[in-house]
Amino acid sequence: MTGEVIYEVKNVSKRYGSVVALDGASLKLHAGEVLGLVGDNGAGKSTLVKVLSGAHQPNGGKIYLDGVERTWGSPREALEAGVETLYQDSGLAPHLTVSQNVFLGREKTVKGIFGKMGFLARKEMEHDAHEDLERVGIAVPASDRPVSQLSGGQRQAVAIGRAVAWARRVIILDEPTNHLGARQAGEVLQVVRAAKAKGLGVIFISHTLPHVLEVTDRVVVLRLGKIVMDAPTSEFDGDRLIGVLTGTIQTVRVEGD
Amino acid sequence: MTNSNQTTARKPGIPAEQKPVPLALTARISTLASNQSTILIGVMVLLIVVFSVLEPKFFSAPTASNILTDWGSVVLIAVGQTFVVISGGIDLSVGAIIGLSGVVSAWTMANVLKVDQTVSGADASGPLLIGTLVSVGVGLLVGLTNAFLINKLRIVPFIATLSTMGAALGLSVIISSGQPIGSANNFSLIAAMDPKTNPLSWALIVVIVVVTIAGLFLHKARFGLYTYAIGSNTFAARGAGINVERHLTLVYALSGALAGLAGMYVYLRLGAGSPSSGTGRELDAIAAVVIGGASLMGGIGRIWGTVLGALILFTVQSGLIMVGVAPDWKKVVVAILIAAAVAAQTLQSKNGRK
Ligand SMILES: Nc1ncnc2c1ncn2[C@@H]1O[C@H](COP(=O)(O)OP(=O)(O)OP(=O)(O)O)[C@@H](O)[C@H]1O
Ligand SMILES: [Mg+2]
Repeated sequence: MTGEVIYEVKNVSKRYGSVVALDGASLKLHAGEVLGLVGDNGAGKSTLVKVLSGAHQPNGGKIYLDGVERTWGSPREALEAGVETLYQDSGLAPHLTVSQNVFLGREKTVKGIFGKMGFLARKEMEHDAHEDLERVGIAVPASDRPVSQLSGGQRQAVAIGRAVAWARRVIILDEPTNHLGARQAGEVLQVVRAAKAKGLGVIFISHTLPHVLEVTDRVVVLRLGKIVMDAPTSEFDGDRLIGVLTGTIQTVRVEGD
Repeated sequence: MTNSNQTTARKPGIPAEQKPVPLALTARISTLASNQSTILIGVMVLLIVVFSVLEPKFFSAPTASNILTDWGSVVLIAVGQTFVVISGGIDLSVGAIIGLSGVVSAWTMANVLKVDQTVSGADASGPLLIGTLVSVGVGLLVGLTNAFLINKLRIVPFIATLSTMGAALGLSVIISSGQPIGSANNFSLIAAMDPKTNPLSWALIVVIVVVTIAGLFLHKARFGLYTYAIGSNTFAARGAGINVERHLTLVYALSGALAGLAGMYVYLRLGAGSPSSGTGRELDAIAAVVIGGASLMGGIGRIWGTVLGALILFTVQSGLIMVGVAPDWKKVVVAILIAAAVAAQTLQSKNGRK
């Protein structure tokens, strides 16, 4: 039930000084598809996320959204194109409240001349942010609390709620079940399925392999910055996935290039 | 929000966090006591009581007027500094801007507008307005230079603004040959605006209006929100689509422009543009901001806190002088105040964040 290719990278590379974090990685994401991205610590998953979200500029390679080549100069450009990202770490501003974080960069202003000057409709945003988070339904904190006072799971809920509320084409979730209890992690998987049902392309990154096997349609394995496997989830079971991840099972690329 | 028409079912089983119910009176008092501005007002009242007991003349209109006049010359740059500090930076150039903008403005009024001691009354208002624009313009230019050094050359704010501070000081000495320019003592309109002769002078009213507007933009508008967001987590701010460099440019430009306005205020007070008229004022501003509860790590601070912080600073200074403490002790006491404010902040955040 997956559709057109919406998001694609071809042969992207990213170096941090002498560290090669991404080495010629290529992948395709279809509408209504959940793509699992797995790999050991330091494999380059978050780096790929940052390239896809516009937070980092790749040293080489190409990015296509809806078949059109794009270069993201900043996250704003990717956001405006409908690509929403939950970063693995530090995606929220701790001194701001829940609703300020949910609406950051897309604030609602009051009507009239004061709105033009940037005066904010705080109550309205607090109300709407609360509704958005309730819809995600993970661990809903009060909208006017500073994020620094929330538990790890509540923070994660805010970050997910923010991404889900705004995504129009693609949603990238870098370890969204971090800090979450078993039940809340289950809710995240529900959120992923709902996004898929809406026809979004979802990239789901996790070290919890049962979650990956449960929710994804396809799995891409990264090892030392290279994509070593790209196959339908049905071809994997837990042991085989671990084998590929750690390199004890040798692989050939099935898709890409 | 854009997707609010989606049909995802609500999860009924999950308890949303409740809004806090009205607190019991004791709890309310203890929240009030831990509230930053309540503490500052308490300190302020305590200072007034102590100094008035030690020196009854302290509790008088002239003293209040003196304190407010001093306050007016620093609160503008302290407010600019509040934005800068919340954004995670620092601006050391504001004291030097007061000197430079005062000198350039005085020079312009004397040499270009040919204002001399014969000009008075309504004739003076035009030159005065132009002088103010020049003063603010000079501050704005230095602020934009700071932003350029920080954003484009990637120099840390401390060093960037330290260099412009030196350059501004040097320039103001060169332009003025080290001498105050343009005595405005007979300049009747300026004299009428001199905060010394009238406690709520026009100059002070302008200061209060500007501070209020700045406070509204910091706490109620997008401009302030982005300032907090950048100071709180630059990566998150950028990830949310904020143009961090552009915003920081505006913040340093604002700080510079407010320092330029302060330069005009000080010019009116002294009746002349003097290159050294702002020397050391940047430290007063930083002290006011820190006493007011801002964190030099960024993300925390309030205009109201800064306003009270500056008031406390000058209350202490003038109180100490009036009770006969040698002026050199003033610096020691201010240092203790700053240390106490920072310590209180650290303790509070330890309690506050479990
Ligand atoms: N900002 C950075 N500067 C320098 N090196 C970096 C930076 N970010 C990542 N790296 C390096 O790039 C490599 C890939 O890191 P990345 O964060 O993409 O891994 P990951 O697959 O997300 O790992 P994890 O599962 O631990 O989150 C690592 O060797 C890491 O040390
Ligand atoms: Mg990672």
